[in-house]
Amino acid sequence: MAKTAKKAKASVSVSQNNPKFSLWNFWVSGTLLKLLLIPGYFSTDFDVHRNWLAITNKLPLKLWYVEDTSQWTLDYPPFFAYFEWFLSQVVPKVVQKDGCLDIVKVGRFGMPTVIFQRLTVIASETLLYVVLQVFINKSEMTDRSANFVVASSIVLSPGFLIIDHIHFQYNGFLFAILIASIVAAKHQKYLQCALFFTIALCFKHIFLYLAPSFFVFLLRVYVLDFSNFKFRSYNDLISVVQWKNLLKLGGVVVTVFTACFAPFIAQWPQLLKRLFPFSRGLTHAYWAPNFWAIYSLLDKVLTLCVMKVPYVHRFLSQFIGPPLIPETLAEIQSRLQQYNGGTKGLVQDVSFVILPQVQPKLTFFLTLFYQVLALVPVLFSPSFKRFIGSLTLCGFASFLFGWHVHEKAIMLVIIPFSFLVTSDRRLLTPFLLAVSAGYVSLFPLLHSSQEFLLKILYTLVWSIVYSLALRQVTKISSSVQRRVFFFDRFALFYIIMLLPLVIGVQLLEALKWRYSVLQKFEFAGLMIYSIYCSIGILSSWVGLSWLYNFDEPLWM
Amino acid sequence: MVSGVKSAKESFFASPLYDFLSPFRPVANQYYAEYVIVIFALVIRCAVGLGSFSGEGVSPLFGDFEAQRHWMELTTNIPISQWYWFDLQYWGLDYPPLTAYHSLLLGKLGSLFNPEWYALGSSRGLELPALKAYMRFTVILSEAALYIPGVIYFTKWFGIKRRQSPIGTYIAAAAILFQPSLILIDHGHFQYNSVMLGLTVYAINNLLDGFHGPAAVCFVLSLTFKQMSLYYSPVFFAYLLSRSLFSPSFNVSRFISVALHTLISFAVLFFPLYKFGGLKNVLQSIHRVFPFARGIFEDKVANFWCVSNVFFKYAENYSQIQLQKLSIAATGAGFLPAFLLIFLYPKKHMLPFALAACSMAFFLFSFQVHEKSILVPLLPITLLYCSTNWNVLSMVSWINNVALFTLWPLLKKDNLTIQYVVMLILSNWLIGNFSFCTPRFLPHFLTPGPSVSDVGDSYRRRSLLPESVIWKLIIITSYLAMGLIHCLDVFVEPPSTLPDLWVLMNCALGFSCFALFWLWNNYKLFTLRNKSFEDF
Repeated sequence: MAKTAKKAKASVSVSQNNPKFSLWNFWVSGTLLKLLLIPGYFSTDFDVHRNWLAITNKLPLKLWYVEDTSQWTLDYPPFFAYFEWFLSQVVPKVVQKDGCLDIVKVGRFGMPTVIFQRLTVIASETLLYVVLQVFINKSEMTDRSANFVVASSIVLSPGFLIIDHIHFQYNGFLFAILIASIVAAKHQKYLQCALFFTIALCFKHIFLYLAPSFFVFLLRVYVLDFSNFKFRSYNDLISVVQWKNLLKLGGVVVTVFTACFAPFIAQWPQLLKRLFPFSRGLTHAYWAPNFWAIYSLLDKVLTLCVMKVPYVHRFLSQFIGPPLIPETLAEIQSRLQQYNGGTKGLVQDVSFVILPQVQPKLTFFLTLFYQVLALVPVLFSPSFKRFIGSLTLCGFASFLFGWHVHEKAIMLVIIPFSFLVTSDRRLLTPFLLAVSAGYVSLFPLLHSSQEFLLKILYTLVWSIVYSLALRQVTKISSSVQRRVFFFDRFALFYIIMLLPLVIGVQLLEALKWRYSVLQKFEFAGLMIYSIYCSIGILSSWVGLSWLYNFDEPLWM
Repeated sequence: MVSGVKSAKESFFASPLYDFLSPFRPVANQYYAEYVIVIFALVIRCAVGLGSFSGEGVSPLFGDFEAQRHWMELTTNIPISQWYWFDLQYWGLDYPPLTAYHSLLLGKLGSLFNPEWYALGSSRGLELPALKAYMRFTVILSEAALYIPGVIYFTKWFGIKRRQSPIGTYIAAAAILFQPSLILIDHGHFQYNSVMLGLTVYAINNLLDGFHGPAAVCFVLSLTFKQMSLYYSPVFFAYLLSRSLFSPSFNVSRFISVALHTLISFAVLFFPLYKFGGLKNVLQSIHRVFPFARGIFEDKVANFWCVSNVFFKYAENYSQIQLQKLSIAATGAGFLPAFLLIFLYPKKHMLPFALAACSMAFFLFSFQVHEKSILVPLLPITLLYCSTNWNVLSMVSWINNVALFTLWPLLKKDNLTIQYVVMLILSNWLIGNFSFCTPRFLPHFLTPGPSVSDVGDSYRRRSLLPESVIWKLIIITSYLAMGLIHCLDVFVEPPSTLPDLWVLMNCALGFSCFALFWLWNNYKLFTLRNKSFEDF
């Protein structure tokens, strides 16, 4: 007994000096939990991916983007189609008989297909663990524990659990490629960075939102060299460009794109139409917690004010002309009748009553504007931290102001932000705001009551563990006295209030049949979710932008 | 020095559970460890609950899920005087009154959400997703309210008593809370065993704290929730009696207090039945609870009668009454050693061992045992996870696996294959039963925990096997046999004359392992009688 004790003691001291950070345990436990989720709820995305398996398996390449028997047409870039083709090659006989590979209007399948597809998600997610383990192993000894916390927070993320393993998608695997490019950028392997990012882009074009940041960063650090730059004439600008690097970089990007799109060159317009369906509405299915959620709330409130309070309309029309607000009360009335989507929230195409309609062009412009704001500092002083900061802000801009934003797109913000948060304690508050509001905003994706407890408890335990762990590993900056304590407390209050919100909305749903008032506001729950979460995400964005633009030492 | 002692006291050193929880070692974080464990335990229970339940879609009688739902329907809609009389053919109430009150409460609560779930008559066989979610939720709620706090208190008590580090006690608590059989039966198959077991743990906790009266109350509550906790009664009786008679000295007030507590709580629990139906109602409830009219065993179960029935057909040679007497005699002989030992040496650290030996004797030899009844002996056995003795831990982990294995035919019927496999792997892996393979087959940087070279032998042989060679042999053989039976079950059709052959083999293996464990348990109890708390 004493002998083992001594050995154990030695091991404790050794392992403290030479810590080994392994994601192995997380992989095993995570995989086991995900296996238990197999019989759970899945969304229509499940049938979408099953249909893609069928399309890529049964049809020749040139028909992939043309086929439209099912409404779930292939609308991811070709690499993902190749990936589905690869998966369809390993479908076992039992699953094929189950109807997994039939091109039909609505999939008819049973448990074997579910098990097979769920297993492909679990298996493909292993790439995420591999990439993050590489990230940990390559990092400096001093940063290792912080990076371990970050990596484990990503692999255990409730976002991936909810979106991939219950709702059904392949984000874990796709984000692994994105993370690979971030890791490459960290280690100044810019060609690899470009390679991985282009591959990620060819898997899922939602990463296009992050592309400006990658473009500017790689341009600045790899292609342009200002170290010996003195402006004498415009010819000097040419010598700034490192042509060899530019060719290499361009070569990598062009090669990947060619490999991806070349087979589909004949169907190019059709492919573009599928990838960028601009005919869709401003919001997806229901309000993602972004700027437009607040905009629409404002519209509701204004409508209510104008309709119920006399003279408000007359007062307003003194200042604002008819194109911006409706001319008469009758017109408002008629608009209300016409849209009737007023209080609902589950909408495909939204129209505003008082406020001006939102055009795709406007959302595009706003997104680009805030992205450019985030990119300018990278252009002037490119550092890895700045790059990650701009990446996060690009994600934010597209999420907050974009057209037809999925609530799932919040992962585009959270994942880059995770790589940033350990560098300064002041970033922790915006980060916690973004993750808590972001993950809670995913809850309505799983509307069936059987997952209710699971999603809350998992997110709760994740936030407890990681708010604790991140607080321990984040560096406290020298300028910490500038921290505004009031806002920290306020953010904490906001985060804690999410819990009663979630439970309250669920109770409302459960008791709806009893009270006709609740039935009238059928989608009030979803509205509350998106409004409350959008406040958190907007404040997180403001907080990060503030630090990004006004706190120089943080980013050096 | 401190860390050396600490590691020696930490039972699951270098297991994944230890790796997960050691970040919570700093004092400021210890507070959270408890919540993290509990929430993760609940998450796993929720995830298991996504699977099917017993009798899903099997009309017309369905299964335990429908039985529980039907009791809620019954208790919310029918006056108390009729509870034990109503339509006995269709899942008539055959559990003691506390189950009925529990059903009443949950049924009332559920009717708030949707009265159709428990509408009299029309709700039979209802399997709405929302109803399933609610029912699963009530199981989790009952467990979170009773079983989990009880277990945590128990491990903390033992931890403090033996100056374990708080994390060490949390690891033990986690090991107990991740016991697979209870999770699968309660949250997969669907039952409320955790209420009965939780109340029993409270009774044990009260004994540990020296509150003898409240302990009696808790035990009566447990007994009136499910008669199965009768398996524990000899030990509780012997312990309480011995404590009030001569240990440490004759104590009249304690004796009277225990007696009064017991009687009053029984009276209170049966009073509503008496008030609204008279004595006849009370007697009917007792008659329903103890169905002696049924056979000596039902279905296939890993106990003495079922297994020996292969060689000797009891039903053909003895009458029902004779069999009853036989089983009572065998059970009495079975629990006598534990009864006498705890009566003569009423020591706190002997309680889990004595309860285990006694309830295992009941499981092996008593009348009308279900395969699910193994959960009763499994509770005190699993509580032994807070021991630091490697041999004890190994035996406990082994018998947990055997118990899970004997539940396999039942779980297979319920379509809980995935859940069974996952829980089997998860529970063993967490306590480090698979650690023997991890360090060898993985790249160095992936090896979790303390590196192999640091821990040397003590880490390499992490696969929860006792030191004795004979036991090692027995355990490994039993594991191989389990693997073999599983393979046969999956790949080979049983001969048409013996369709239950694999199930019977399962029972035979289960019985022999349980019997061996029971012998070891009695021996252990005997050696512990003069030992102090530290050697536990």
